[in-house]
Amino acid sequence: MTEINDLISKIVNNVQDESNNQSSSNTTTATASSTSTSSDSNKTMTRDDYPLFQKHPDMVNAPTGKNVKEVTLEAAINGDVEAEDLRISPQTLKAQGEIAASAGRPSIQSNFDRAAELTKVPDERVLEMYGSLRPYRSSEQELLDMADELENKYGAKICADFVREAAVEYKKRKKLKGDN
Amino acid sequence: MKRQKRFEVLEKRPVHEDGFVDEWPEEGFVAMDGPIDPKPSVKIENGEIVELDGKKKEDFDLIDSFIAKHSINLDTTEKVLAMDSQKIANMLCDPNVTRDKIIPITTGFTPAKAAEVICQLNFVEMMMATQKMRPRKTPATQGHVTNIRDNPVLIAADAADAALRGFPEQETTTAVARYAPLNAISIMVGAQTGRPGVLTQCSVEEAEELSLGMRGFTAYAETISVYGTEQVFTDGDDTPWSKGFLASCYASRGLKMRFTSGSGSEVMMGYAEGKSMLYLEARCIFITKGCGVQGLQNGAVSCIGIPGAVPSGLREVLGENLLCMAMDIECASGNDQSFSHSDIRRTERMVGQFISGTDYISSGYSTVPNYDNTFAGSNFDATDYDDYYAMQRDLKVNGGLVPVKEADIIKIRNKAAKALQAVFKSLDLPEITDEEVEAATYAFSSKDMPERNMVEDMKAAQDLMDRGVTGVDVIKGLYNGGFTDVAQAVLSLLQQRIAGDFLQTSSIFDKDWNVISAVNNTNDYNGPGTGYHIDDDLWKKIIDIPMAINPTDV
Repeated sequence: MTEINDLISKIVNNVQDESNNQSSSNTTTATASSTSTSSDSNKTMTRDDYPLFQKHPDMVNAPTGKNVKEVTLEAAINGDVEAEDLRISPQTLKAQGEIAASAGRPSIQSNFDRAAELTKVPDERVLEMYGSLRPYRSSEQELLDMADELENKYGAKICADFVREAAVEYKKRKKLKGDN
Repeated sequence: MKRQKRFEVLEKRPVHEDGFVDEWPEEGFVAMDGPIDPKPSVKIENGEIVELDGKKKEDFDLIDSFIAKHSINLDTTEKVLAMDSQKIANMLCDPNVTRDKIIPITTGFTPAKAAEVICQLNFVEMMMATQKMRPRKTPATQGHVTNIRDNPVLIAADAADAALRGFPEQETTTAVARYAPLNAISIMVGAQTGRPGVLTQCSVEEAEELSLGMRGFTAYAETISVYGTEQVFTDGDDTPWSKGFLASCYASRGLKMRFTSGSGSEVMMGYAEGKSMLYLEARCIFITKGCGVQGLQNGAVSCIGIPGAVPSGLREVLGENLLCMAMDIECASGNDQSFSHSDIRRTERMVGQFISGTDYISSGYSTVPNYDNTFAGSNFDATDYDDYYAMQRDLKVNGGLVPVKEADIIKIRNKAAKALQAVFKSLDLPEITDEEVEAATYAFSSKDMPERNMVEDMKAAQDLMDRGVTGVDVIKGLYNGGFTDVAQAVLSLLQQRIAGDFLQTSSIFDKDWNVISAVNNTNDYNGPGTGYHIDDDLWKKIIDIPMAINPTDV
């Protein structure tokens, strides 16, 4: 394991010019992200409803409205299954979030609530949005604009607040465009 | 000095080629309980954490802020921090205290409290705690399927081979990045041929990896790295918020995902801030929790050489796996990187996870010879299978694999290679010849494969992306080639995305697409006679190793 030796000698060489370190700036308050309300469909799901595919196939529909049981090999070969028919719907994500919460995992529910909102954002755009959240990619305004787009164009309120929260933190810790 | 002859012999042993280093806390070369590790503390004002592990809110870095906002149960944390850490550690390894009594405590931890509790445990106590805290009752393991020439036919045959041996999750990556879509399709077709229900992934750059998933070429992802210091996180080109957003992107497309972290990465990347590996890893586990991600690949992973070199390092590695599971997160527990020149230490590296059982004992057992492993080699590889089988049999442990018959392997490898041949033909990709199918069926490594025109393959891979080919086209290709059962298996895999059952913690599928997860296969260990047991059918398979002789035949 000569890598260890190489690494140690590298650190020894660099140890002197390692005095410049991060400083903290003034604080601003951030918005806390809200958690979900129950799903719009009749009853709240619990872990006893899991797995949904086996216990509630009737309510498992793709966003196109196609039921999971209609996605058969025959249909796929006949060209009756589009890529859009193989996606998860916001309702199903809500239900899976309720199941996760019922199994004692509320943070997974928060993730699925954000995900339910993002089902409405096209593939290309959602990949771009992820890129914009990486360090040094966006100005504060660009992040705030993206949050507005999420909220106004896609009804993604929880995700919008998540991005606004990031904007505050990136400003504070200098992760905005031009800070590097 | 006149040499003592035994010392001279010892110096020639493989262990002398390994790296060992004394503790150097200033640079993070300390496994756990570092001299400047923060002491646990928490202060809440107006429903908000204003002090975390000795740091005031105005001094929070990005990671502190994220953890304070998203990762800690505000209702319980003050009470939990007032509890004696040794007492909590005792509960962790006490068989009489069930998992569901512990989760409400661990979810009130702060990172420093979590590290402090783990530091109380010796290695055996960690193993006791691991067998109880693993979220999924049934243990499993994951395999790497790669080769250094990115040969798609061989990937398909190897994936089928690995599926038959029992890997419920398989991971590929590329030697040349542009091969990614071909490798993703090859491992998926091969794995579904070997055993329907296997989940497959292709580890590449974050955005590209998601894009492969969106097209239906992969079912899950795990190379979504998080780090324990802000500087290293930034150097990794992400923040806790970008990674949290990415996690939701995956779920929004019905794809399973877990994060990756692991001690040693901060030391390797030069900014450990003088903190111990366990403390920094605790921060990664808290970020994962806060993002609402169901699982984590940890246990030093590709940086195993760092904790492996310091005192108590492998104890720390099991400790970080344990902490992940104790925080109710699926754990793919490392053992996925070449670690030692010594076979004895390689086994030592794995023994804690192997005997206790984790969600995935290895987050990449090399199902191919390490020569072909483009993740830079794993701790165990395809030449270690029979040793692994013997260990399962000796100790009556389910390490996630089952012995196989040579004739069955030949048959399934051949079928997978032919199935991929049909898919390539149907998608108008460069031809897979019968000679290649034959070679892949009987190959030991990529050295046994005929040359392919790699330039043509790469062009075709790009073209396939440009044409907008999806998983549905792969299904059609399989069906038209006469592989109806494999076509059905790939369809079933895509169908599962609509239902999302496998987004729940620690999910895998059996051959009939029944999901097995922490929700419906909850670990209920409560002492001898409870928790996970090897059933009679599985035990018969495990003991049926080719080397065993039947006494009546003698």
